[in-house]
Amino acid sequence: MHRTIACLFSCYVLLFSLGSCVQEERSFYSGLGKKPVYVALDELRDIRNEPPSAIQESGTIFLKDTLLFILEQRKGIHVFNLKDSLNTVNLAFFKIPAVTDFVVSGNLVYADSWKDLVVIDISNLHQISEKSRIEGVISPALYPPLYSGFFECVDESKGAVVDWLDTGLDDAKCVTVN
Amino acid sequence: MKKLLVFVAIALLYTSCSKEAASVSEPGKSGSITRFAVYQDFMYVLNLNEVQTYDITQRDRPVLINRLKTDYGLETITIYDNTVFLGSTTALYILNISNPAAPVIQAKTDRLSDFGFSGCDPVVVKGNYAYSTIKIIQNICGNISAESALIVYDISDKTAPKAVGSYALSIPNGLGIKDNHLFVCDEGTDQLRVFDISVPTQLTELTYSVSITDPYDLIIDAERMIVSSKTDFQIFDISDIIQIKKLGQISR
Repeated sequence: MHRTIACLFSCYVLLFSLGSCVQEERSFYSGLGKKPVYVALDELRDIRNEPPSAIQESGTIFLKDTLLFILEQRKGIHVFNLKDSLNTVNLAFFKIPAVTDFVVSGNLVYADSWKDLVVIDISNLHQISEKSRIEGVISPALYPPLYSGFFECVDESKGAVVDWLDTGLDDAKCVTVN
Repeated sequence: MKKLLVFVAIALLYTSCSKEAASVSEPGKSGSITRFAVYQDFMYVLNLNEVQTYDITQRDRPVLINRLKTDYGLETITIYDNTVFLGSTTALYILNISNPAAPVIQAKTDRLSDFGFSGCDPVVVKGNYAYSTIKIIQNICGNISAESALIVYDISDKTAPKAVGSYALSIPNGLGIKDNHLFVCDEGTDQLRVFDISVPTQLTELTYSVSITDPYDLIIDAERMIVSSKTDFQIFDISDIIQIKKLGQISR
């Protein structure tokens, strides 16, 4: 559950106290927070296998037969083989830039990728390929997930958000509550 | 003769289709926190304030055929007994998909408006009851406090769900049901909490719970349960509810 509020209050807060009038200039939040990392929109088409890797920030999970698919926020999907519960195998990683959710059906993965819906053929887990794409149907979350605090607002003209960096903010205008 | 040919052609088409359908193995299952769901020849995708329906008859060429508007804040979708349940930050939605190409809103709970902001996270359903975790966030003079609960709805009338129970939780995430037990990921207490739901209007929480750091979501797969957290997952044997055994975890 996320609530994002772009701060709408004025930069200038007029403080009127009884008997005196003080005008104070307030800036927005400055301090630690998060800022978006962008990639150019044509890089969204860079869907391919990458070597299996550790999970950093998980999301949707999906079990198909003995395969467990785990979302890596904005990066892709991990695939584990759970055939032997005691010895799971980290099988594959699908790079899908800006992905935040997916579903597996048959030999296909349907996933979002920024504003697009993509269909990926995974019949060979080690050689995936994009089958089709519908552009501009998804409204991506413009805030860092599972986070409460200030962040630098997303500027969509800079491309697609593929990461959120912890950083020092200067005059941040957006805040989210998880 | 021509008629016969057409008949044969249709019969051939039919057998080839059913063969293809049979070759698609286990459809698979997602955790409770997702915005995508496949149902027959359709896929539903949640945007912030709409439910999109895609025709996926041609599996690798989805076609967007319907957009159902809702209030802002859609977060999770689950399908149970030919009905769609949506968790949003403001309500629980129940959608009729008797025509799966065009879902219709059957009910939308007006939830807990007394609490100010409210939220309805993932939903699981069994029989005539839906179980949903919520986070209630209040912002009073800049002080943000969160209060959360598991809410039980009687959905025997799908057009008029009724809240029939509420149980305090810390920071709940995903949830899942096995037989008469409901598992809830409670990130706030680093536990997987277990409720007996034999009497849905009066749940009892088992004194026993499973310790796990920051559990996020879970999938119940017959006798085993997979629980994810931010950077890993664990597998449990849940054949005996009062003696849940950890089997394995992510390989590093």
